Amino acid sequence: MELSEDDVLHILKLIDESKFDYFQLEVGELKITVSKGDPIPLAGTPQPGGSATAPAAAPKPAPAAVASGAPAPKATTLPAGHVAITAPLLGTFYVAPEPGAPPFVMVGQQVTEDTTCALIEVMKVFSSVRAGVNGTIVEVVAANGGFVEFGQTLFIVKP
Amino acid sequence: MSVNRVLVANRGEIAVRVIRACQSLGIETVAAVSDADRESMAARMANRAVCIGPARSADSYLKVENVIAAAQGTGCDALHPGYGFLAERAALAQACQDHQITFVGPSAENIAMMGDKLEARKIAGNAGVPLVPGSDQARNPHEAARLAKDIGFPLLLKASAGGGGRGIKLVWNAHEIEDTFRMAAAEARAAFGNDTLYMERYVGNARHIEVQILGDQHGNVIHLGERDCSLQRRHQKIVEEAPAYALTPEIRGQICHAAATLARSIGYRSAGTIEFIYDNDTEDYYFLEMNTRIQVEHPVTEMITGVDLVAQQLLIARGEPLPFRQSEIKFTGHAIECRITAESPQHGFRPCPGLISNWQGPTGPGIRLDTHCYSGYFVPPYYDSLLAKLIVHANSRIESADQTNRALENFHVSGIDTLIPFLKVVIADDDYRAGKVNTRWLEKKLEDYAAAQPG
Repeated sequence: MELSEDDVLHILKLIDESKFDYFQLEVGELKITVSKGDPIPLAGTPQPGGSATAPAAAPKPAPAAVASGAPAPKATTLPAGHVAITAPLLGTFYVAPEPGAPPFVMVGQQVTEDTTCALIEVMKVFSSVRAGVNGTIVEVVAANGGFVEFGQTLFIVKP
Repeated sequence: MSVNRVLVANRGEIAVRVIRACQSLGIETVAAVSDADRESMAARMANRAVCIGPARSADSYLKVENVIAAAQGTGCDALHPGYGFLAERAALAQACQDHQITFVGPSAENIAMMGDKLEARKIAGNAGVPLVPGSDQARNPHEAARLAKDIGFPLLLKASAGGGGRGIKLVWNAHEIEDTFRMAAAEARAAFGNDTLYMERYVGNARHIEVQILGDQHGNVIHLGERDCSLQRRHQKIVEEAPAYALTPEIRGQICHAAATLARSIGYRSAGTIEFIYDNDTEDYYFLEMNTRIQVEHPVTEMITGVDLVAQQLLIARGEPLPFRQSEIKFTGHAIECRITAESPQHGFRPCPGLISNWQGPTGPGIRLDTHCYSGYFVPPYYDSLLAKLIVHANSRIESADQTNRALENFHVSGIDTLIPFLKVVIADDDYRAGKVNTRWLEKKLEDYAAAQPG
């Protein structure tokens, strides 16, 4: 059985209108993966969050009207040959030494293992994040001032 | 005092338990997990999971700042500490208070007060609760030797900062006391950062009896009956049950009343347990310590009262008054809980982390299994070995024991060793069934069991 482009669009529409937040379909060589809200990372990618990897058929309850829930961190697929700088601890992520100051590193900048790339603050205590790798910053993944988990991807570096 | 989204700052079966209680009340959950627990049952059940650190507890679950930051970062307005880890760390309760996060538990003051075991003894004494004949702080080996004369031997040297069975040394006679004192002090310094020691008479033929307390923020305190947790190995409980069948109704009434009085006298709120030593020979009972948290064995109380203790903790934290008066608490039947651990009873209780290739828990009426395990689950080596609690509720103690036996027979775990083989022997034992046990009984049983093992 083959799916036409219209079929695929129809399927996507159905998923979009449903309460499911993850859907995976394999038909012959065609594979469709749809996730809403928290993206489910591809197998083998370091996962920043504890979201279930098994396809979840049960709809997740909609978040209650509670003030400021931080959205789950975006999973990142690493391009081949690239390395992630991950959070050595959880806390609030800051790209610059203080508000208004220039960021520690920018896209395109060369870093060495000992380059300080960011600060993470936990209850008023600041820790610096070392690059841990030599290369060029290609992307700043984590949001400045946002909450990051242990192990979450902060930067992507091309060694 | 809102409780709309709870950070579950624990792991394993209790994290699952807390999430379940939150679900029953329509409360959202965020599971705080270490790197090793990203794929845990709690992580999957919660609305969201957040990784708070590497596998090592000291770098993840035991860091107050990690769980507070995790709560703040995920918009949680409340935090449940479970048991163990930071549950009785006053600094966590205080940090929650400082950051406008509702701590699902007692006040920081109560935690600190009862966490100092020597202080707790004084408070219990002031509340009119009988104390184990013992001493105040023994400041040095000579003082210990002198105070010991009034207590008699054998006696227990206890660390004030200990509790939960830790920091206890048995001293058989006057010759040993000074050396044991020095050793106990050094160990207490290393383990708790505090080498304050006191002494208590050792009751040779004792039961461990404890009373469940609930208190709300309006000053209401009730008890939900007592539990018998005499089956212990190295002060760690293995089998618990409710009610404490060996007590006369009079003694039961006195112990429960004493517990509630003590809790009320310190303005206690949330769930708590007051532990007693009961002397089988004299029927005397003595205050041991108070645990300011939900306990591992809380399900046996839930089964005989029909009260969801964790849900009550959440409602109490929200500021709601207790929905029942003391007189409305009824006790039905008998419940037994077996702690299923990843330990090998044939090999000296050696821990057995590893992959559970098959997990088939027993089911049926009156059977409850609190667990985070499943077929294919990898039991990590970083944490305690508790896999599950098997709780069986029936009309009578004997029926409960029979059904526990059948449940254990139908409990199949492959891939790792568990305590199940030993538990079967214990529950089927004639002395156990007749209730002829005390706090030394299980270790004796274990000696016999180990001796009977091949090789």
